[in-house]
Amino acid sequence: MQDALPALVLNSEALPPAIMNDTPPTPAYPASPASDEHLMLAFSKGSAESFNELFLRYKQPIYGFFRRRTADPHHAEELSQETFLVLLRAASRYEPRALFRTYLYAIAFKILRAHRRKAAFRATFFGHPSTIPDPAKQDATESGLWVRRAVEKLDRIDREILLLREFEQLSYAEIAGLLQLPINTVRSRLFRARTALRNLLEPSSAAAPNNAAPSAEPTASPNAAQAIPQKGIRL
Amino acid sequence: MSTTPHPIAPEEIMAHLDGELSLARAQSVSSHLDSCVECQAVVTSLRNTSHSLSSWSVAPAPVNTKFVEHLCADAAKVPSNLRRLIFEIFPSQRWKLLAASGVLVVLLITIAGFMGGRYDMSVRSSKLAAARRVAVDIARVNNKDGSREALESQLDSWSPPAAASANGSLGKLQAEEKAMKEVRDSYQTWIHNGPLIAHTVSLSLIAKDFDSSRASLDAILARHNGYSANLSVSTPQGAARSLQASLRIPAPQLSAALTELKSLGRVELENQNGEEVTQQHADLVARLKNSRETEQRLQAILTQRTGKISDVLEVEQEIARVRGEIEQMEAEQKNIEHRVDFATIDLKLSEEYKAKLDSPAPAISTLIHNAAVNGYRNVADTLLSIVLFFAEYGPILAFWLLALSIPAWLVWRRWRHATAAI
Repeated sequence: MQDALPALVLNSEALPPAIMNDTPPTPAYPASPASDEHLMLAFSKGSAESFNELFLRYKQPIYGFFRRRTADPHHAEELSQETFLVLLRAASRYEPRALFRTYLYAIAFKILRAHRRKAAFRATFFGHPSTIPDPAKQDATESGLWVRRAVEKLDRIDREILLLREFEQLSYAEIAGLLQLPINTVRSRLFRARTALRNLLEPSSAAAPNNAAPSAEPTASPNAAQAIPQKGIRL
Repeated sequence: MSTTPHPIAPEEIMAHLDGELSLARAQSVSSHLDSCVECQAVVTSLRNTSHSLSSWSVAPAPVNTKFVEHLCADAAKVPSNLRRLIFEIFPSQRWKLLAASGVLVVLLITIAGFMGGRYDMSVRSSKLAAARRVAVDIARVNNKDGSREALESQLDSWSPPAAASANGSLGKLQAEEKAMKEVRDSYQTWIHNGPLIAHTVSLSLIAKDFDSSRASLDAILARHNGYSANLSVSTPQGAARSLQASLRIPAPQLSAALTELKSLGRVELENQNGEEVTQQHADLVARLKNSRETEQRLQAILTQRTGKISDVLEVEQEIARVRGEIEQMEAEQKNIEHRVDFATIDLKLSEEYKAKLDSPAPAISTLIHNAAVNGYRNVADTLLSIVLFFAEYGPILAFWLLALSIPAWLVWRRWRHATAAI
């Protein structure tokens, strides 16, 4: 079961990188012949094969990124396609100042925000958002659906930080850069999200975790963390 | 329940599990975890939560062969040599933007220059046409029929410059201009005065020695038989002195006088303007001649014919009206001729001021007092302005605030619901 664990567990044990459903291999993994950054640079110089390789590596992660954040799988597919088209057009401007996946998720995140803005505008002025039955139910297992519902109950920024950490495996600094939040805020919110999620998933142990937490240190409960100022970009 | 204090916060344990701690701190946390059961429970709890999340799987991405083909085709498009060259020269977007801006500026300057050239051509064409009209008018005024016929024949042989402007041929326009110049030159010999130009010059000077410049100005005026129509000297305390004058200099001596005036100090601004009043003068002369003839005919009627008293009075009234017109036109003619004979120079002479230490500075208490009074006035004026503004616009602002607040609140509420639902 170790290979199915998310990054948190894997990082702590210095095990090979996550092989989750849609998590791409990290650049340090020996299985990848060329790093993403090298492939992107090669593509910006005209190598189509490099782009195909990147597309194969990131097709599923990017689809998963949108699928977990949108109700409609068609929207997720369209937004994934848009992300790769933007990547294609912006290739000549690419500068390897950060990890490629950070760059790619930044593009995807901007596209997602634009999509949300448009959807909110349409819902405000032209009626309620589409009430199509959530197709994600068909994607997830019963336990997956339970997890999804629990995640939906989290605060929006907490949820986004949790997803970016758990599924996209971005570092705290990368998440802070993406959401324009201080890194300490990211850490606090991530802890709050994990605590809240644990309480939602294991209601019986809702009282236990705080007992398990060291008593002398400030315990980050969902209510206590409400005091965290609402900074950063609008999600 | 344990209340033992722990040196490591749960957040830090989480950061340790996420690999976000420094090596030294990670080692210390790790050694603490080995010995602390409570912290191990936190680790287990966090791992379980993370493990639960892994059950949220997503179906494989749908395969859209059309899109993949399109994407592959786009990716396979080898950048052209030009694009590669551009990328090599301008690797970043900023450089590309700078280069594009430069090209745009050059393009705009080129277009502006081209448009300016076209404008010059059209202006020159219109000036040539105006000159031709002036020449014909003056010929009409004169009664030297022989010369007039010769002039008319020369003018008729000259094609209008508008045609040259229309086909855009600068060479042809220049040829036409040359032809017109020849006509004008021949006409110069025919009329005795040539075109009438009223010159106006604006001159702004900065003089080091204001007093000597002032004396030299009077000398220049006397030397060139000019005079000052208006002159004012300002000598404020603690600031540069200045002189503003409207000088009248005989037109033939304008150039020489101007040269001497410029030697009084550093030229800061010079603007020369020449208004051609030939046509205006010619029209005036023609109308004056007609009015005089009319007056003569009326005088003849009055002396030679007899009739009723009312008719005689009517003729006298008509003579008085014509006489008034003649006098008005004569005054106008003299004014024009005076403007032509005497060029106008609007001179502004400023002193190059140097502050002097020995000049008495205002007392500090006076300055503070003045500043305080000004400050009080400013505050009072501002408060009064605010009160007046709200008195004038307050009701309408309140009305619109009330009128718009309800729809704005409704939209905001819908927006919140919409964003929460997405």
